[in-house]
Amino acid sequence: MTGLLHSWRAAIRIARRDAWRSKGRSLLVLLMIALPIVGVSAADITIRSGQISEAQKLERRLGAADARYESADTGGAPIMQEPKGDYGFSVAERYEEDPRVLSGKHSNVIKALPKGAKWITEGSGRALARTRHGLLDISVRELDAGHPLAAGIFTLLRGDLPARPNEVAATEAFLKSSGLHVGSHTTLRGMGGALLTIVGAVEAPDELEREELLARPGAVLPVLDRAAAKHGESTATTNYLVSVGGRVTWDMAKEANAKGVMVMSKDVVLNPPADQDVPLYTQGDYQRSGDLGTDQTMVVMAATVVGMAMLEICLLAGPAFAVGARRSRRQLGLVGANGGDRRHIRAIVLSGGLVIGTAAAVIGVALGFGLTLALRPILEDYVGARFGAIQLRPLELTGIAAVGLVTGVLAAIVPAFVASRQSVLESLTGRRGVRHSSRVLPLVGLGAVLLGVGIALVGSLSYDNVLGVAAGSGIAELGIVALTPALVGLFGRLGRWMPLSPRLALRDAVRNRGRTAPAVAAVLAAVAGTVGVATYAASADQQHRQEYRRSLPEHRAALSVDADEKGQLGQIRATVAKTLPVAERADVDRIWVGGKDCGPYSGSNGCGSIELVVPERNTCPLEKEDTGAHFTAAQRRGLRKDWRCEQHYENGWGAYMMRSGSDTLVGGPQVLAALGIHDPSAERALRRGETVVFDRKYVKDGRITLKVIDRVVESDQEQKGRPVPVKAHLAQHNAYGLVALMPRTAAAEADFKTAPFGSYYTLSHGVSTEQRQELKGALAKLNVRADPYIERGYQADSSLVLMALSVFAGLVTIGAAGIATGLSQADAEADLNTLAAIGAAPRVRRTLSGFQCGVVAAMGVALGAAAGVVPAIGLRKAQERQAVAQYEEAVRLGRSIGTTSVHMPIVVPWTTLLELLVAVPLGAALLAALFTRSRTAPARRAAQ
Amino acid sequence: MTENNQHSPVLALEGLTRVHGTGAAEVHALRGIDMSVLPGELVAVMGPSGSGKSTLLTLAGGLDTPTSGRVLVEGIDIAAIGRKGAAALRRRSIGYVFQDYNLIPALTAAENIALPLELDGTSARKARRHCLAALEELGLTELADRFPDEMSGGQQQRVAIARALVGGRRLVLADEPTGALDSETGETVLALLRARCDAGAAGVLVTHEPRFAAWADRVVFLRDGSMVDQTVRSRAETLLSGGAAR
Repeated sequence: MTGLLHSWRAAIRIARRDAWRSKGRSLLVLLMIALPIVGVSAADITIRSGQISEAQKLERRLGAADARYESADTGGAPIMQEPKGDYGFSVAERYEEDPRVLSGKHSNVIKALPKGAKWITEGSGRALARTRHGLLDISVRELDAGHPLAAGIFTLLRGDLPARPNEVAATEAFLKSSGLHVGSHTTLRGMGGALLTIVGAVEAPDELEREELLARPGAVLPVLDRAAAKHGESTATTNYLVSVGGRVTWDMAKEANAKGVMVMSKDVVLNPPADQDVPLYTQGDYQRSGDLGTDQTMVVMAATVVGMAMLEICLLAGPAFAVGARRSRRQLGLVGANGGDRRHIRAIVLSGGLVIGTAAAVIGVALGFGLTLALRPILEDYVGARFGAIQLRPLELTGIAAVGLVTGVLAAIVPAFVASRQSVLESLTGRRGVRHSSRVLPLVGLGAVLLGVGIALVGSLSYDNVLGVAAGSGIAELGIVALTPALVGLFGRLGRWMPLSPRLALRDAVRNRGRTAPAVAAVLAAVAGTVGVATYAASADQQHRQEYRRSLPEHRAALSVDADEKGQLGQIRATVAKTLPVAERADVDRIWVGGKDCGPYSGSNGCGSIELVVPERNTCPLEKEDTGAHFTAAQRRGLRKDWRCEQHYENGWGAYMMRSGSDTLVGGPQVLAALGIHDPSAERALRRGETVVFDRKYVKDGRITLKVIDRVVESDQEQKGRPVPVKAHLAQHNAYGLVALMPRTAAAEADFKTAPFGSYYTLSHGVSTEQRQELKGALAKLNVRADPYIERGYQADSSLVLMALSVFAGLVTIGAAGIATGLSQADAEADLNTLAAIGAAPRVRRTLSGFQCGVVAAMGVALGAAAGVVPAIGLRKAQERQAVAQYEEAVRLGRSIGTTSVHMPIVVPWTTLLELLVAVPLGAALLAALFTRSRTAPARRAAQ
Repeated sequence: MTENNQHSPVLALEGLTRVHGTGAAEVHALRGIDMSVLPGELVAVMGPSGSGKSTLLTLAGGLDTPTSGRVLVEGIDIAAIGRKGAAALRRRSIGYVFQDYNLIPALTAAENIALPLELDGTSARKARRHCLAALEELGLTELADRFPDEMSGGQQQRVAIARALVGGRRLVLADEPTGALDSETGETVLALLRARCDAGAAGVLVTHEPRFAAWADRVVFLRDGSMVDQTVRSRAETLLSGGAAR
C-alpha cells in the first residue's frame, strides 16, 4: 500500500512539473474546468449569504416586537391560521355563511391583544405620489420607526426619520424612480394637495426594491382611506407590533384567532407547534403545499445539468490530456523502460488530471468567493435584499471543489488508459502501431441508446413523464457518445469520393478514432444540447404565437379613462394625436348608472351597473344551475361544440380595457372600421339606430336585453334590475371583446346616461418603443392613470436565448475541433513532411489541417443535430400528453368551459440547424487553416 | 559477491529468434542467437543497420517478446513472468541507456535516478539517499538538482548510467549511448560504463564505432540477424586502454 503511495507520489511529481512546462495547454484545461466552478461557487455563496436566518428575517419584519397582530378582516369572526402567520391564513368553508365574514370588516385587534401588552401600530397602504416625472404608484407605511419596538425594520441612510405629520422618509428605490431627493416635496393623490417633505432616506433591508414612503402613524393613510372609500377602493391595513415582555405562544395566537385576528409570533415561528396542534391542518380541508415533488425534480434537473456539464468538460479536456500524453509519449516509454508498468503510466497521465483538477478547483472556488465579494452590492440589488453576512459553507464549497477535481480526473481517464496500452517499444521508437478501437464500447453505446430511447418513448407515450424523457434522452446521448468511434468509422466510407486534402483528413480522422472520437463527442454533446433547446424553444415560440390573441387588429390602439379622469379626456386625446402616428380616431362613450362619479367598474357606494342578458333559451346547458352538474362526460364533450356554450377566447384579453363594465359601448360606424370590421349592413343598422351585436347568444327575436341595476348590493346573489329591450342587428365578427355597439340615438332613446369613455385609434404604421415611452411620459405629465393599449402583434422573446446558445455551441465546436486538429497535427508531422518531400505545395499543409478540423466539426454537428432534435420532440410530445390529460380531466369534471383543446406544434429550427451544420464546420476549418503554418517545421533527429 | 554469482551469467540468451510480420512481409530480425554476459563483463554488439542489434537489446530487456528462444536475466526467464513481471525486473535488475533523450524532462537528475526505486515503492527520502550515494560514487553530486535541460549531453548520459545501475541493478543495456555525443565526451561516458562493469555489473553495448567497441571485453558481430563473429579481447589490453583513457 505504501509502495503504491510512493509510486503515485513520483507520478504526481512528473505530472505537476509537466503541467508547469506546457503552461498554455494546462491553462486552457484549467480554465475549462474552473469556469463552471467559479460560477457555481459564486452562486452558492450568494444564495447562502442571501438566505438570512429565520430570526433575522423576523427581526426585519417585526423589529424588536414579540409578535405582529393583524386583522383578518372577518369582522371578529374566528379564523384558523398557519403557525407562520404570514400569508397562509385561511378561513374554513363553513365561515362563509357568517355575515361578519362576508362584511369583510376589520376585526378589533386591540381587543385581541394579550393583557398588559405594549404595542405600536404599523399601517400600510398604496398611493399615487407626485414625482418629477408624473405619478408613481407606491406603497406607504406609517410607523414610528424610531420607537424601540420598531428597531431593525428600517435603516436610516441619510437625514432624519419623520417627526411631524407633514414629513416623510423615502426608500432609495423611491428616490431613484421619482427623481426626488432628501429635502424635496411631494404630494399624494387624495390628500388635497397637502405638501409632504422628504426628510430622510431609509432602506427596508428585506425589500430594497420597494418604492415606499414612511410617514408618522395616522398622518397619511386615514386621509387617503377616506378619499379612496368614496370609490370603494380602500386598501390600507393596520398591524400591531406587540411586546409582552416574553413570548407570544401558540395558545395566545389561537386566542387571538378566535377574535378574527392573525398573529405572527417570533416564538411560534422559531418553535412551531406540532401539526396536530394546528386547527387549520386538523380541521380545515386545507392542504399543506407539498413542495417535495418540486424539490425532487429540481434535484434531478440540477444533477442532470451538472452531469452533462461535467461530461462536456471531460469530453473537451480529455483530448487535451490526450495531446499531453501523445507529446510525452517518449517520456512515458522511458518510464516503461525503467520498470514502470501500465499502472505507473496510467498514474502519471491521471495525475495530470488530478493536478490540473485540484488547481482548477482551488482557483475556481477562490475566484468565486472573490467575485461574490466584489459584486456584493450589485448582487444584493439584484436579489433585492441585503445579505446577512457572507456565508461560507465549507462542506458545500468542498463539494463544489471536489466536482472540479473529479472532472479533471475523469477527463484524464480515457487518455490514461490509451497511453498505458501503448507498447513501451512503440513509445520509445515513435513508431505508430495499428490502434484497435474497443469492440465493447460500441455495444455498450448501442445498449445505452436503445435503453435511453426506450425510457424516453415510454415516458413520452405512456406516462407523459417529462422527467423520464429527460433521463432517457440523457442516457441515449451518453450512448451516442460511446458509439461515436463506430459512427466515425462509418463516415470514413465517404472518403473515396473526395479530393485529396479532405480525403486525407477524413482517413486520418477515421484511422485515429482514439483522438477523433472524444472531440467529435464533445461537439456532439454541445450541439445536441443547443439543438434540443432550440427545437424546444422554437416549438414553444410557435405555440405562443398561435395562442397569442390580439386585443385589437394590428397597428390599432385603444385608450379609456376612469370616471374621475373624464374631464381630461380632451387633453389625453390631444397627447395621443401628438405622439402616435394616428390616421383615424373613433370615440366611444359608456353607459353609466347612478351618481355622476360612478366609474365603469364601481359597483358599490350608490353606483349601479348595466348587464347584457342571455335569454333563457340561449343559455348554455352546462352553465345552468339546476342541470349543469348532471351531464356525462360524453354529453359535456358534445355540448362544448354547441354554439350556446362557445367562448370567444379568440377575442383576446387586452380588450378588457375597452370594456365599460357591460360589454356594451356607445359609438358610431367608425368604431367598426377601427376594429377592422367592414360590414355595410352593420353600418346601415347603426345609422338606423339599431345596436350591433357581435355574439348571437344575446339576440332573441331581433332584440337584446340590457339589465339596468340601479343600485348594486354586495351579495353573492344575482343582482335585481329592470330589463330594457333594445333593437339589435347581429353581425358575427371578431370585435376584440366588445359584445355590443350601441349608436348614440339608441342610447338616448332608451334613456341611458352616457359619458365620454375613450377612443380607438387606427395608426398609419407601427409604433416604436421610443414613441410608446414618449406617450407614457406625456400622459404621466398630465397626471392621469389612463394607460394606452397598442397592438403590436406577437412579440417573440426567446430569440436572444437561442442566439446565445448557438454562439456557445459554435465556440465549443471550434474549441473541440481545434484541439482535435492540434492532436492530429502532432501525430501527422511525419506524414506532412513526407507530403512536402514528394512535392506537395505548402498550401496542402494548410488545407489539410483545415479539413481535419472541419471533418471533426462536421461529424460532431451532424450527429449532435440528430441527437438533439429527437429528445426535444419527445419532450414536447410528453407535454402534449400531459396537457391532453388535463384537458380531458377538465371535460370530465365539467370544467370544460374556458379550456381550449390542446395543440402543441413541433417546429424544427431550420435556421439554427443550418447555421450549425454549415457555418460552424466552415468557421472551424477556416480558423484552423488560418492558424496553421504552411512551412514545415525543421525535422529533429530521433527525439520529439 | 559470492563465487557462484561471479560465474553464473547475469544475462543469458538461448536460441533467440524474432520474426516481424507474416507471409510476404516476414522479416527475420534475429535468428537463433546464443549469448551470455557474466558479471563484470562488458559485451559490445556491432553490425550494419538492420542487422538486429537494437532488437537484441529490446528482447534482452523484456520490452519485446521473442518468437522463439529464451531470455534469462539473473536466471529468470522473462517470457515466463509476464508483462508485469518484466516491468518489475526492469525496476530491480535491468537498466537501459539510450542514444539520447534518456532522462525525463520533468524530473531533476536525482529524481531521474531515483525513479525506478520510487516506482518500486521505495519512499522518496530513501530513494534520494540511494541516488545521492550513486551520484557521489560517480562524482556527479553537483548535478543532483539540475533538470535535464540544464545539463550537457554527456552529463545526461552519465546520469542515465547512474540510473541504470541504481539500487543493486546489475545489467546495463546501452543502445548507442554515445551516438549523439562528440568523441571526447563519448569516451568519458564509456569510461564510466567500463568502470561500473569493473565494479561487478554486466553490460551490453550496441555501437557501430569500433573505437567505442574497444572498451568491451568481447565484441559480437551481427549480420541479418545472425551472429557472424566473436572477438575476445585480453583483459589486460582492455584494462590498459581503459586506463589510458582515464
